[in-house]
Amino acid sequence: MIPINHFLVLSTILFSIGMYGVLSRRNAVLVLMSVELMLQAVSINFITFAAYLDPQKATGIIFAVFVIVVAAAEVGLALAMILRFYRNKQTANVDEADMMKW
Amino acid sequence: MGMQEAWLLPAIPAVAFVFLLLFGAYLPRRGDWVAIAAIGASFVLFFFVLADLLDAVKDPEFVGGVKSWTWVEFDNFKIELGFFVDQITIVMLIVVSFVALMVQIYSVAYMKGDPRYGWYFTVMCLFTASMLTLVLADNLLLMYAAWEGVGFCSFLLIGFWWERRSAAEAAKKAFITTRIGDVGFLIGIILLWREANTFNIQEIIHFAENGGYSNTYLTIAVLFLFGGAIGKSGQFPLHVWLPDAMEGPTPVSALIHAATMVVAGVYMVARMLPVFEVADPIALDVVTILGLTTVMLSATMGLAATDIKRVIAYSTLNSLGLMFVALGSHSVTAAMLYLFVHGFFKAMLFLGSGAVIHATEKQDVNDLGGLARKMPVTSITFALGAAAMIGVIPLSGFWAKDEVLHAANNAQNVFCYLVLLASLVITGLYMTRLYVLTFLGEPKDRHVYDHAHEAEPLMSVPLVLLAIPTVIGGLVVFHGVGKALGFPGGFGEFVYLEEPEKFKFHVDIALESTVLAVGGAAIGYYAWANGAALATRVRQTFSPIAALLSHRYYIDDIYQWGINHIILGLGAVLAWFDRVIVNDTGVDGSAELGYLAGNELKYTETGKIPNYALAIAAGVLVIAVLFLVLEA
Repeated sequence: MIPINHFLVLSTILFSIGMYGVLSRRNAVLVLMSVELMLQAVSINFITFAAYLDPQKATGIIFAVFVIVVAAAEVGLALAMILRFYRNKQTANVDEADMMKW
Repeated sequence: MGMQEAWLLPAIPAVAFVFLLLFGAYLPRRGDWVAIAAIGASFVLFFFVLADLLDAVKDPEFVGGVKSWTWVEFDNFKIELGFFVDQITIVMLIVVSFVALMVQIYSVAYMKGDPRYGWYFTVMCLFTASMLTLVLADNLLLMYAAWEGVGFCSFLLIGFWWERRSAAEAAKKAFITTRIGDVGFLIGIILLWREANTFNIQEIIHFAENGGYSNTYLTIAVLFLFGGAIGKSGQFPLHVWLPDAMEGPTPVSALIHAATMVVAGVYMVARMLPVFEVADPIALDVVTILGLTTVMLSATMGLAATDIKRVIAYSTLNSLGLMFVALGSHSVTAAMLYLFVHGFFKAMLFLGSGAVIHATEKQDVNDLGGLARKMPVTSITFALGAAAMIGVIPLSGFWAKDEVLHAANNAQNVFCYLVLLASLVITGLYMTRLYVLTFLGEPKDRHVYDHAHEAEPLMSVPLVLLAIPTVIGGLVVFHGVGKALGFPGGFGEFVYLEEPEKFKFHVDIALESTVLAVGGAAIGYYAWANGAALATRVRQTFSPIAALLSHRYYIDDIYQWGINHIILGLGAVLAWFDRVIVNDTGVDGSAELGYLAGNELKYTETGKIPNYALAIAAGVLVIAVLFLVLEA
């Protein structure tokens, strides 16, 4: 059996890439994609632990399914917001989204 | 029905109070009949309790009938709602229930037409319920609760006509002054409880008698207890509230400030006397000395007062002092006998003065005079009351006063006895003065005299009913009288501390007291009859003393000075601390800090999402690192 570490390292790498994307990209669509990467890294963790620690129960898997569903809904919402933002500002650069500061 | 149902005595007026509070305004006659019926029911029930007790005291082992419920219970802390009946309780119960009933009937006429007629009867119900609870309580905590209850009712009723500034002030003065004593009482209760781990009076007495308390500790505790009695019973130095309490309606003065509430202190000390006995003799010496001081102060102040009710208030202080001297002389018998007869004749004196005030709408003796012709019933009953107070044989006051003198003669030194004898002369003087100035001589104000009329039946019947025990009440000291009424014997064989004592007539004491009291009365009559010519001359000769007396020894003024300069000064310092340190620095200061911090830090909020994301990521990272380091 593949040691659990392999999966954890994989999810860590995925998560780090996602975080790097969120922090460094300026295009809102790319930021959103990076967030999706981070979410999937978490899903991998769920499934890994579910398989290794308590294979009888499906809790972790159910959570992964949940994450996928929520992520899908969230993408729909977020893309709509980005669209509105683009309409208003003629750009999708997140640095421009600073209307709510003091 | 019997001692087990004694709790009904306070319960019925308490229920009537709640009922009147909620529905009184909708009842015919504002519900005064509910109040009278409730107190009448308590009065009738009393006789069942008495009959049961008389059965029980045939057993020499009898210590009292108890009925109790658990009220609050923690692991090792329990408060009981308990009712206890023994001989002392019975004496208090008859005084409270009988006088309360008489006063209620009297009040129907006296308070007629008052805008707060219904409220008066409502509060009177609450007072009666509280007072009966106080008397019946088997533990100190319940007694304390009832103690505060009667104090509160006293406050409400002194300030009954609160539109009058002096009444509002007097109510406040009474409440605050007695509260000073009450704090002492509470401290005493806590001190007794801390060692004995019980509030039950009988258990505390048992604990003390078995040496559970150290001598010094117990002495301090009982002195604190006595502090409560000083406040409630108006002993020096907390006597100042009682004369001012006369601002209330006169029936209130009769019930609360003469017959019942003010003797609560005497009752409490009598109840706890076995504990006082165990403590250092200093404790009872303090009781005696303060009682004696009060006797002399109040008797002399009574000489100078001109308000008819105030004079009687001073005589009440005088009587209360005598009761404390009796207690200080280890005699529950003498104290309770005096309390018993005092309740009747003092209530009668007050109700009589109320009849005068009702008829003339004046209460200064300088406006009255000659009323005996207009108000024969009031005049005769008032004369009987005054004679009982002076101690004329064979009225009730005589027997009680002689018991006190006898006890003091046995237990105290000769100085104390002589002071008591001297006070008898002064008592004779001022009671005669009051009677002569009010009822005899020529009317000083013709207009007032012409409008005066005899009290209506609702007022004169209670007077006459109270006159009966005033005249014959003292005869209960005799063995034969007690036996005939079904008691084990005379008063001393029924109410006692350790051993029943058969009444003996002490010819020498009776002779001394009668000569002095009647002598005082005779001098008083001679001095104040015929337009008070002699008294006026004496007053002019000794004008500094007269001024001292009419200014009440300047005690009130000294207290006022102390309040103005010391207490209000201290209050000003505390108010400054509260305003500057607590409010401006503490409350406003912390709010200001938050405002300033927010104002300065708001520039760090850029509103740019990547900055926030970076901050979150950095924060998570820091926490993760910290977690790892601490884990390792």
